[in-house]
Amino acid sequence: MLYELIGLEKILGGRKIFDIDRFSIRSGRIYSLTGPNGAGKTTLLKILAFIDRPTAGEIRFFTKSVLQVEGDLLELRRQVVMVDQSPLLFTGTVIDNVEFGLKMRKIPAAERRKRAIEALQQVGMERFDRTEAHRLSGGETKRVALARALAIRPKVLLCDEPTANVDSEHQKIILDILAAINRQDKTSIIFSTHYQSLEQQLAHFCLHLQHGHLSEHQADNVYHAELIERGQRRSSCRLAERVIISVPTRSIPAEPLFNLRIDQDKIRLAAITGDRQTEGSLVEGRVAQIREENGGVAVKLHAGIVLDLTLSPEIYADRSLRVGEIVAVVIPDEAVHCIPNSGDVRPV
Amino acid sequence: MELLRDSVISAFLLLMQLDPELLFIIWVSIKVSGLSTLAAAALGIPAGLVLAQAVFPGKRFVLTCLNTLLALPTVVIGLVVYAFISRRGTFGSFGLLYTQEAIIIGQIILIVPLVTSLTIAAVSKLDERYRMSAMTLGADRYQAALVIFQEARFGIVAAVVAAFGRVIAEVGIGMMLGGNAKGFTRTMTTAMALEYDKGEYVLAVALGVVLMSIAFGVNMLFHFFQGRTRTDAL
Repeated sequence: MLYELIGLEKILGGRKIFDIDRFSIRSGRIYSLTGPNGAGKTTLLKILAFIDRPTAGEIRFFTKSVLQVEGDLLELRRQVVMVDQSPLLFTGTVIDNVEFGLKMRKIPAAERRKRAIEALQQVGMERFDRTEAHRLSGGETKRVALARALAIRPKVLLCDEPTANVDSEHQKIILDILAAINRQDKTSIIFSTHYQSLEQQLAHFCLHLQHGHLSEHQADNVYHAELIERGQRRSSCRLAERVIISVPTRSIPAEPLFNLRIDQDKIRLAAITGDRQTEGSLVEGRVAQIREENGGVAVKLHAGIVLDLTLSPEIYADRSLRVGEIVAVVIPDEAVHCIPNSGDVRPV
Repeated sequence: MELLRDSVISAFLLLMQLDPELLFIIWVSIKVSGLSTLAAAALGIPAGLVLAQAVFPGKRFVLTCLNTLLALPTVVIGLVVYAFISRRGTFGSFGLLYTQEAIIIGQIILIVPLVTSLTIAAVSKLDERYRMSAMTLGADRYQAALVIFQEARFGIVAAVVAAFGRVIAEVGIGMMLGGNAKGFTRTMTTAMALEYDKGEYVLAVALGVVLMSIAFGVNMLFHFFQGRTRTDAL
């Protein structure tokens, strides 16, 4: 278990911000954290990052109880990093900033430079390594702040509204980076966000903080999956005890029960029933809801499971979907991600 | 008016001739003020960094006391230090009275509150996210304080420059603790006071010109650093 929060309470200026009775957050997952303004999302992230202290209660980090004393906190802080909603870069060049955390850990200069360049390459900012940090735009600053966090190779990455005040091009870049580090480096990620945001699609689980209480629910398009037949190349899984889909065997975890996430923007409408142009699964369902969302068209499909998909306005206009219509969709292999119940996320 | 004109002309001639007595007085002033400013910076900057960031009961009271100390008259400092370093004082055996060291001690007491207060002001107006960023990136308290120092450095340097300007222009401490001994503890301000008493305006005006030039230079520096701080904030 990554975090266990027991009787966690925070009082600021005489006002109780939250009072979390008992809550667990698993490692290797991506969690979104939603809640109304002033609900305490940022405060909770700061406490999870060990840069703020709870008024009362206990935090266990990797099952070890956290003593709120500076020596212990420094050690824990070096495993977790938080990226602010509007990050500030220190005076100096971009590379100086990215090397900062490594310098604090007394990493030798050559290794420091190598890791900083790698982190900058991850966020696509390697060309700016010698640029003065204060000359960067808002989106670039956010990417460098992310690189500064990634260079440390933290076990946990906490992001406060990672795509706030960022144009759509940079939003996509940031979300792709977050997905990639979770997949490749097994980094646990918790990010605060608002409802129906783009990054909600990234989360395996959603945390919701309201009236001081924290709750968890499965994210959209994340299902409990059961392996029913393991083939040499492809295997069959049953989702939510209802729908059977075919998944490449190499992506299936060792245990028979796991979670499975389907990227909603990669699902496409089948041209005709039986369309199998790419490897994947074909699912039929009834259109239950259509709405405009983030410049695309969000469709909710009842197909035994509730399947959310996002269409471009052109495709939606071309197909002129109607609520109640039965449609077939193709779930390509690249849209499917297996999330073991223990351990790390396995990409397809 | 004629007196002032003649005095200014004579003063410039004195400066052009690089009069040894005049140069020594300038040297003593700069040396004493420079050393006291360095010592006050060494004490006041860390104190300011700690006070700006620490949260403790009675912090408001400490800050009020600090602000009160800013208004401490130089003659009061002179009297208090005199009580300690005069022959009958606690530190009388060190023989500090009427030495340059005595002036330095008095001046340190005068400007430590100033350096501390201006450091607190420079650090307090710095965005809290700098400290948060340093901490989440793994900085310990000392490393985080260094980051704060680096980001607030222009404001802190301006504090030190202002403190130097304050001590180089003060007269009370120099007179009471230094004794204005010729060729030993005579500073520009104490020499000017003496020359005025004697009715000798030429040296007084020459020293005044130098003092004003130094004050102008110090203020130029102060505005330069303040300007940098503002540019940084943008």
